[in-house]
Amino acid sequence: MTVAEQVSIWDREELLTGCQAVSHAVKLADVDVIAAYPIRPYTEVMDMLSKLIADGKLDAEYIIADSEHSQFEIVKHASSVGARAFAGSSGTGWMYGFEALVVTATDRLPPLFLVGNRALDDPGAFGVEHNDAMSLRDMGWLMCWASTAQEALEHVFIGYRVAEDKTVRMPMALAMDGAFLTHSQHMVQVPTEESVKRFLPPFDLGERRLHPDKPVSIAPQVNEDWVMELRRQNWEAARRARGVIKQAYEEFNEIFGQRYDNPYFSEFMTDDAEAVLIGIGAVKMPTQTACRRMREQGHKVGYVNLRWFRPFPTEELRACLGRFKGVGVIDRDFAHGSPDNGGILMHEVRSCLYPLRERPNVINYMGGLGGRDISIEECIKMYEATLAAGRGDMPEELVTWTGLRE
Amino acid sequence: MIKRVEVQYRGIFQKNLGKYIGGDIVMIASRMGRVAFSNGRYSDAPERNGIPCKYFAFVTHDLSEEELEAECGAKLDIDAADISLVVDDTMSKGVEPWGWHGIRPVNEKVGHKGCLLMVTRREHDDLVRFMAKKDYPYRLARLEGDASLAGLWVDRDDLTRERCLGAIAAVDPDVIGIEAVEEYLREKTGDENRVRAAREAYEATLRKNKVVNAGEGIDWPHEIPVLPKWHEFEEGGVVVPAVPRGFKLGPRGQNRNEGFKHGTSKTERPVVRFDLCIKCTLCWADCPDECFDPTDDELYDVNYEVCTGCHKCAEVCPVKECIVMVDELEFENTDSPWEHHKQDPAGYIQWAEGKKGTKRIRYAHVTGSTGAEISEGTTVPPKA
Repeated sequence: MTVAEQVSIWDREELLTGCQAVSHAVKLADVDVIAAYPIRPYTEVMDMLSKLIADGKLDAEYIIADSEHSQFEIVKHASSVGARAFAGSSGTGWMYGFEALVVTATDRLPPLFLVGNRALDDPGAFGVEHNDAMSLRDMGWLMCWASTAQEALEHVFIGYRVAEDKTVRMPMALAMDGAFLTHSQHMVQVPTEESVKRFLPPFDLGERRLHPDKPVSIAPQVNEDWVMELRRQNWEAARRARGVIKQAYEEFNEIFGQRYDNPYFSEFMTDDAEAVLIGIGAVKMPTQTACRRMREQGHKVGYVNLRWFRPFPTEELRACLGRFKGVGVIDRDFAHGSPDNGGILMHEVRSCLYPLRERPNVINYMGGLGGRDISIEECIKMYEATLAAGRGDMPEELVTWTGLRE
Repeated sequence: MIKRVEVQYRGIFQKNLGKYIGGDIVMIASRMGRVAFSNGRYSDAPERNGIPCKYFAFVTHDLSEEELEAECGAKLDIDAADISLVVDDTMSKGVEPWGWHGIRPVNEKVGHKGCLLMVTRREHDDLVRFMAKKDYPYRLARLEGDASLAGLWVDRDDLTRERCLGAIAAVDPDVIGIEAVEEYLREKTGDENRVRAAREAYEATLRKNKVVNAGEGIDWPHEIPVLPKWHEFEEGGVVVPAVPRGFKLGPRGQNRNEGFKHGTSKTERPVVRFDLCIKCTLCWADCPDECFDPTDDELYDVNYEVCTGCHKCAEVCPVKECIVMVDELEFENTDSPWEHHKQDPAGYIQWAEGKKGTKRIRYAHVTGSTGAEISEGTTVPPKA
């Protein structure tokens, strides 16, 4: 790479909230159609996009929908005619559009959605919980969590790149924690249009494009004659996505510098760790500080920040977590009535580790629900218990609620 | 080392101001080779008129961005502020940002030897008399100016922003330095007036900066709620008993939500000359917060505990000088003005006129213009 090329990778450093960072990325991804309907914390994304259009900086169709359901139908249809489409939502808004979200996956269309994670009302709560996005986990979506504003910006490009790949064509949910990421102002590096173009080719739906010159029919009534084969296709696409994700990160690192060692998760102080915590999103902040403090006192602990949830990084996580004696899973979600009454992430992690001959002991923390903060002190306690669990001293209850008034 | 700054601002009218100051601190600190970020207190609902809200900025000299974020980024509020900037001095009387939070002291988070920096035209003692005692000393710095109240999603751009940056540099140069503030403003705006405003505020704030000793202030009169444990309240999200139905005539006759009174949203309160009232009912009918309690003599008492100071009653009242908005710091309590009027009609008029004075201000969020309208009021004699 020449010096001139290196210089043109980054356009500027700008003070942006997580929502604004995503909006700038949507602009740089040259999105054609945006459907908008407000709900906090996602709202700032649509606000910023409308401003970019009003300021003449973005040329896109901006359609204000009458609900999330319409919003998601609009981007699904836009995607089917070959438009790069964007929408987003939060909490119950996400759930209200669920029918449209499900069919976007079965129709194998690749719009990108931002989920500004929010608790599911009632009662009213703006704060982060992951159940809104997690509701999609079995529906044939790509799902990924950003843990910084910079990562959110970059994963708009990576998200479209993976979703639109002709061997994948799955909708992409890019999630970020309400408040701690969506509404926090950071210095964010914004790339140039040229470098984004180098990484992200134009969206081409090929023969599948809905166009009057070459009529196709999408999603007719098929019943028992076709459904099972179609599901098998979805399954295959989700499998193929793993290879595409790997390739996308390799290319991303080539263009933008070595930013990601591993597409699926990042590891912090895990090298010689005896026990680790694993979590998703902003909980990385207090856990990593707690981890540093524990290390200062000689405890061999680490942190694993999970980025991709679908496809779930089974082999990679098995290899990673299999090295430790104790694994504490932090869930900012709930799965009431599930085995052991644990959280969604715990079940996925435990199930992933089950085939290992030498398995770490897994314990589970429920915390930070409805946007409550998880303190550094709580994380230290989690580390202590996970270390103990790793040495065979399992807690009486597998699941501990942390930060609860009890 | 981490420096924590909070900006206490009023919802809607100062939302952009608060956010801009938070962002400016990050930009300026970054220019100085420091690491910083800013966020708002997420539980706030700053789309409510005048509600007390917060922005934060965090600055470090020696930590990485990742370490700074890890310490500060995933918390809803701070434990202690190095600087608490208050851009409307009427918040001295307490801040109630949402339900179940209680009316809290404005200096609650000011840390040991921290600084409460207030935009105000009042004297040191005139502010301390409203504020809660603390068991350690802190500084109170004053930046002379009015509350910069703007309309919806706009900024007044009246140099309050620049002046606050200068004042922050004066009270704690470890957050941002004045030279860096000046360079930033010069480069960003090319406007020497803005640079000068910051410098002048810096110098003035260096002078108006005094220690509040441990134990100075008042015993806080408002109870801070303690929330129940998970097994101590009704299941199904039924957290608070609903407001009882029915009402009776007279002060406090309407049933209201005791869990969220809202009254700390106001910069001004309406003072009513009951003797001039023509009983048109408009104040009562138009009040968006239903603060007016009908009385048995067909007047309308004002419940100042729930009044948000929105100006609506003063705007709709057809009688000159009957309802006039007056700075909230002129008042010590939320007692019923109607009861005062009934007990001592002549004395009440004298009291009301004393509070009103002759200066009338209609803020920009009421007039819809960019500046406040200031006019002379008149003292109307008692109705015969």
